[in-house]
Amino acid sequence: MLRNDLLWVEKYRPKKIIDIMGNEDAKASFIEWLQNKRHNKKAVLLYGPPGVGKTALVNAAAKEYNFTIIEMNASDTRSEKAVNAVAKPATSYMALDNFSDTIKTKGNMLFLDEVDGIAGNEDRGGVSAIIKIIEESLVPVIMAANDPDVSKLRPLKKVCLLIRFQQVRIPLIIALLQKISSLEGVNAEFEALERIAQNSRGDVRSAINDLQSLSEHDHALTLQDTLMLSSRNKDIGMDETLREFFSAKSVGEASRLLRYSSIDYDNFLLSVSDNLPRRYTDPVELAQAYDSVSQADMFRGRIGTENWHLLKYFFNELTKAAAVNPESYKPFEFISPPIRIITLFWTKGKRSMLDGICLKIGSRCHVSKQTAKLDFVPFVKEILKRKKSINLIEWFKFTPEEADFLIKMSRF
Amino acid sequence: MVIVLNKNGFKLPRVDRDKFIALMRIGLDYNRDLNLFSIKSCNNIEKVMEAVSAILGDDVVFMQKCIHCGKDFSCAHCKYNELCVTKDLPFSCVCAECLRDGSILKNIL
Repeated sequence: MLRNDLLWVEKYRPKKIIDIMGNEDAKASFIEWLQNKRHNKKAVLLYGPPGVGKTALVNAAAKEYNFTIIEMNASDTRSEKAVNAVAKPATSYMALDNFSDTIKTKGNMLFLDEVDGIAGNEDRGGVSAIIKIIEESLVPVIMAANDPDVSKLRPLKKVCLLIRFQQVRIPLIIALLQKISSLEGVNAEFEALERIAQNSRGDVRSAINDLQSLSEHDHALTLQDTLMLSSRNKDIGMDETLREFFSAKSVGEASRLLRYSSIDYDNFLLSVSDNLPRRYTDPVELAQAYDSVSQADMFRGRIGTENWHLLKYFFNELTKAAAVNPESYKPFEFISPPIRIITLFWTKGKRSMLDGICLKIGSRCHVSKQTAKLDFVPFVKEILKRKKSINLIEWFKFTPEEADFLIKMSRF
Repeated sequence: MVIVLNKNGFKLPRVDRDKFIALMRIGLDYNRDLNLFSIKSCNNIEKVMEAVSAILGDDVVFMQKCIHCGKDFSCAHCKYNELCVTKDLPFSCVCAECLRDGSILKNIL
């Protein structure tokens, strides 16, 4: 990737602790903890809103104090098994580099980003595994979260030093934007930078992204250019976004629309996919558009909840789908929300009925809900269908509605 | 009336033992030699403000220190006052002069 092609948030990512704007107290507490190495708490939890420098601080501190970061973030599975596989070796042994005269390293530093995102079945046992690792760790363990009040993190908070990060203040963001503008040769009006900073709500990352998207093309930024920013806070519906997206005359126009829309990217991707056959009637164009959507979907998967620097590529691919042949656009009726969401909505009642049935079978047969659904329901359904066995209904404690539902159910 | 405090050292009237312990727990520190309280941790800064206000019987605000020139200034005259969610709290900031003349830019990045 060319350096010029880099996102400015990456290009100007703080390399030293001093480069991180704001949160001086939090930075000082973290450095004190790192230097005195876990004098009373073996791990630290940095928490606060996004874009205020939590991850940047850890990376900059690792560089300055010669630690090697072993990182697990929200895009990794963080079950007990996965945490033990990655974190245990990283925290149990001294690095071989310690014995080298040429490489000056203090060893590993375990960094678990977005720990508030540890949830669901795939991360089962993750929190307790982390606590065990903290207790046994020989190296600093650092965690970051946006919302520390998640009930799952309560036991984790007990063993951590908590350091709160606040929104970065507007004057500090303006100063940073001024510096980036001058380094990038952007002729920016002070009022425009002021507006970007005010609009960012203390999120430095989003402020830098706004500055780049508004000024990258003509290296100039006026207050007029920033008027679009306020639209991000307005609630533009899916219909309106889709209409403007499909009627875009160029990739650039569609891309700008996506940058300033606040719609959910996953739903939008599904909606675009559902609506493509209505937009393109020519099979070749349709194939091209679907190819771009599939590429965009791949980038969305890689972004997860952490790698937002890839968002640019997600936008690029998705906007290609809108502009395969701008001349062929004719207004059409949209499918919105996506079919998948509509299906989930309409089948909600049926799904909860089936869930209840599986729960009853599970508790009677001592199996999980999933096993009940896959291995038991087909047979119970068949038995009831052939002969409405009262005994079986009573034994499972099915209600008459549940028994009827099972008999009539076509698929599950 | 509003009482302006410096986060590195301010005086409070004598408080009983339990209240003193509560103050230490929410993030204050006490220097016995100088008889001064200071902010040790900003994790519960809202509670600190509330407790100090209750003890002093008035609203309190903290003086801001410019990260560039070191000058003390108050949030009251800041043009971004209404939008700032951390106004009057003891966090780092840039004074209007340093921001306007661009002198802070040398210290960034």
